Amino acid sequence: MSLIGQLALALALVLAAYSIIANVVGARASIPSLTSSARHALWAMCAMVTVAVGALLTSLLHSDFSLEYVASYTSYSLPTIYKITALWGGQQGSLLFWTWLLTIFTSIVAFQNRRRNLEIAPYALAVLAGLAIFFLGMLNFVTRPFDLLAVIPNDGQDLNPLLQNYWMAIHPPSLYTGYVSASVPFAFGAAALMAGRLDDSWIRSTRRWAIFSWFFLTLGNMFGARWAYEVLGWGGYWAWDPVENAAFMPWLVMTAYLHSVMIQERKDMLKVWNLVLIGMAFGLTLFGTFITRSGVISSVHSFTQSGLGPYFLTFLITVTVLYTGLLLSRVKQLRTPAEFESYLSREAAFLFNNLVLVGIAFAVFWGTLFPVLSEAVRGVKITVGPPFFDKVNAPLALALIFLMGVGPLIAWRRSSFDSLAKTFAAPALFGITTGGCAFIAGLREWYVLTALSLAAFVIGTIVVEFRRGVSARRHMVAESVPAAMVNLIAKNNRRYGGYVIHLGVVLAFTGIVASAFFKTEVKKSVKQGDTFQVGAYDLEYLGLETSETPHVETVRARVEVRLNGKPIAMMEPAKLFYKRLQQPATAVAIRSTPAADLYVVLAGIDDQSGLATFQVFLTPLVFWLWAGGLIMALGTVIVMWPNVRERAVIAAAVRAPAPFEDDVQAVPGGD
Amino acid sequence: MPKNLRFAVGAGLIVAAIGYLIVTAVRDTAEYYLTVNEVKVRQGELGGQMLRVAGRVAPGSIGWNPVTLTLSFGLAQPPPPDEPGVKAVSAAMTGPTVFHVICRGEPKPDMFAANRDVIVEGALSPDGTIEARQVLTSCPSKYVPKQPGQPPSQQAQAQ
Repeated sequence: MSLIGQLALALALVLAAYSIIANVVGARASIPSLTSSARHALWAMCAMVTVAVGALLTSLLHSDFSLEYVASYTSYSLPTIYKITALWGGQQGSLLFWTWLLTIFTSIVAFQNRRRNLEIAPYALAVLAGLAIFFLGMLNFVTRPFDLLAVIPNDGQDLNPLLQNYWMAIHPPSLYTGYVSASVPFAFGAAALMAGRLDDSWIRSTRRWAIFSWFFLTLGNMFGARWAYEVLGWGGYWAWDPVENAAFMPWLVMTAYLHSVMIQERKDMLKVWNLVLIGMAFGLTLFGTFITRSGVISSVHSFTQSGLGPYFLTFLITVTVLYTGLLLSRVKQLRTPAEFESYLSREAAFLFNNLVLVGIAFAVFWGTLFPVLSEAVRGVKITVGPPFFDKVNAPLALALIFLMGVGPLIAWRRSSFDSLAKTFAAPALFGITTGGCAFIAGLREWYVLTALSLAAFVIGTIVVEFRRGVSARRHMVAESVPAAMVNLIAKNNRRYGGYVIHLGVVLAFTGIVASAFFKTEVKKSVKQGDTFQVGAYDLEYLGLETSETPHVETVRARVEVRLNGKPIAMMEPAKLFYKRLQQPATAVAIRSTPAADLYVVLAGIDDQSGLATFQVFLTPLVFWLWAGGLIMALGTVIVMWPNVRERAVIAAAVRAPAPFEDDVQAVPGGD
Repeated sequence: MPKNLRFAVGAGLIVAAIGYLIVTAVRDTAEYYLTVNEVKVRQGELGGQMLRVAGRVAPGSIGWNPVTLTLSFGLAQPPPPDEPGVKAVSAAMTGPTVFHVICRGEPKPDMFAANRDVIVEGALSPDGTIEARQVLTSCPSKYVPKQPGQPPSQQAQAQ
C-alpha cells in the first residue's frame, strides 16, 4: 500500500507540472490539442491522488501499523468511523486530503470549461495546477503520509479523544472544502489578469464556486463552534483562539467578496477591489493553514512546530508577491469611469458593508498576530485575549447588521428621503417597538437593546420584501399565498435566497448576543442525594454509573432536573477515560430548548470524599445560533440552485466578449 | 472626480474609526505573555498586573480541595524544546517550583497533572504567589506527534 501511495503521489506531481506547461504554452500559441492534453493530464493527476487517498484509507481501515501515520493516529480498538476520519486527523493525512479536494475541483473546472472560457480557462487551470504542485511537493518530499516505521508496533497511539466526536468528523472536511474551493475563483481572477480579459466573465463563471466555498466555510465554522460547545465543556462555543480565527477570517473576506461582485456585475465598479478581495480570501486560507501548522502563534490547541511553517510562509509570500505584481501591471486597464453618486445608494451601502467586513477581518488578524508583532517590535510578548475581540467586534457587528437591513432595499445610484421613508418606515418602527418592549420588560444593557432593535429592523425589511413580492405575483397570476411564496423564491432564487441567509445571520447574531450577556454559571460540589439550584431549575445528584468498553471507560453521573418540583429531564454528564492514550475527557449533557440551554458538566469526582463537582451553565437563546446557521445553509442552497435563465445568460456572456446587458440577471435586490 | 473623492473621505472615516477601535481595545485588554523565567526576572515591575504565564506543573506540588474548588500547585520553568516537531515531556526535566499558584472557584481541568504544560492567567502578588483567574492546560493536540507511553519503535524514531 505504501509503495502504491508513494508512486501515485510522485506521478501526480509530474502530471501537474506537465499540465502547467501545456496549459500556458497551449493558450499562448493557441494550440487546442495542447490545452486539451493538459486537461487530460489534470484528470489523470486527480486519479493518481485518488489512488493515494484510497491506499491510505485502506491502511487505516486495516490498522496497518507499519505506516507511521496509521500508528500515530489510530489504534485497533478505535471505532471504524474514526479510523476513516483519521484520514484528516493528522498532518500528512490532512494535507493529502486537501490535495485530493484541490485535484477534484480542478478536474471539475477543467470539465466545465472544456468548451467555454477558452481565453482564460487554461491560465486558471495552470494556476490550480501550480497550487497542486506545492501541495504534492510537500507530500512527496516534506511530510510524507506513506513513511514506514522501522519496527512495527503492536498497537497504534490512538486518535486524540477530543477528536473522537461526531462534529469533529464533519468539521474539518467542511472547512477544507470551503478553503480549497476558494482557490477556483482566485485562479480565475489571476487568469483574467494574465490573459488581459478584464471584464467580469471571471466573476460570472466562478460565482457558484464562490458561493459553494462560502457555504462550506459557513458550515465549517458552525460545526467547529458546535464541536467546541459539545466537547470542550466550558459552556461556550467560541474563544477567539488563533485556530478559530484562522477559519473565521476567510469567511469574512469571502462574504465581502460575494457582496461587492454584485456591484461590479451591476455597475462595472470596484474591479480592482474585487480582485484584491479574492486574493485576500485565498491568501487567508493559506495563512490559516500556516498559523495552525507553524507554531508561530501559541494557541491553547497548541499545534506544535511541525517544520511546515517556513514552507507555507514562503509559498504564501510567493503567491502574494506574484498576484500583487500581476494586479499592479493591469491596474491602468482596470480603471472605470463609473463613480459613486450618493451616500444614500445601494452601492454605498455595499461599499460600507465591505469596509466593515474587511475591518473585522483585519481586527481579528491583528489580534491573532499581536503576540508575534509585539515580540518583534518591543521584544515582549503581549497577548490580547477574547476581551479584545469582543470589544472591537461588538460595535462593528451592529454596523454590519444595520447595513444588512439597508443594503438590499435602498435604491441604486441615489435615493430620495421620501423613498427612504416609504421603504424603511415600517421596519424601523418594528425595530424601535421591539427595543422599547424589551426596555419596558426590564432590559437595561444598551448594547442588547440596540442589537435587538436592529435585528427586528432587519427581519422587518425581509418581511416587507417578501410581502411585496408575493402581492405583486398575486396581482399578475391567481395563486395562493404559499404558492406565490414558493414561485417567488424559485424565480428569483439569488435575491430571495439571499434574504433567507440574512434571516439566518440575524437569528444567529441574536443567539450570540443573548448567550454572551445572560449566561449564568453555577459551580458546586455535592454529595449523592443533594439538590442545588440553577436559575429556575433544581438539580438533584442521584449517583454514579460506570461502564466500560475495550476502548473507553465511562463514569456517568445521573442528575434529575426539576422545574417547580416537577421532574422534566434526566441528564447524564460523564467523565470518559481513554485507555490507549491514558487520557481523561469530558462528556457534557445538554438540554436544549429555544428559550435556553441547560448545560451540565461533570467537572470532577473526588474518590475520598465522594463529592461530585458539577459546573452548570444556563445559556438563553443559544439555540438560535445553531438554528440561524441551518437557515443560512438553507438560504445558500436556494441561491446555488440551478437557474435556467441564468445559465443561458452566462453561456452568452462567456461566448461573446462584448459588454453585457446586466439587467437580465437580477442581482439580489435588483428592483 | 470629486464624487469619488467624497466617498474616499467617507471610507477613510470608517477605516479610521475601525483603527481607533483596535487601538483602544489593545490598550484596554493587552496582557503580558511570559514564561516563568521571564516573570522571575521582571518580578518587581509586574506586581499586581494581569499576566499570562506559560509554565509547567511541578510534580508533587498539587493540592486540590473539591469542596471549595481550590487548586494550588507549583509552577516551574519547562525545559527548552529539543528540536522542531518533538516535545520532550520527561519528568526529570521539570525544574523546581518558581511560583506558587492558587486558583479558586474553578473546576480542575481534565488534563491537569504533574509535568503538564499550563498557561496561568492571573496576577502576581509580592510574595511570589499567582492568584489565578484561569488555568489552561495546553491540550496535546492532534498535531503533537511524539508522546511518552508510545510504542518504543516510535520513540526510537523520535530521537
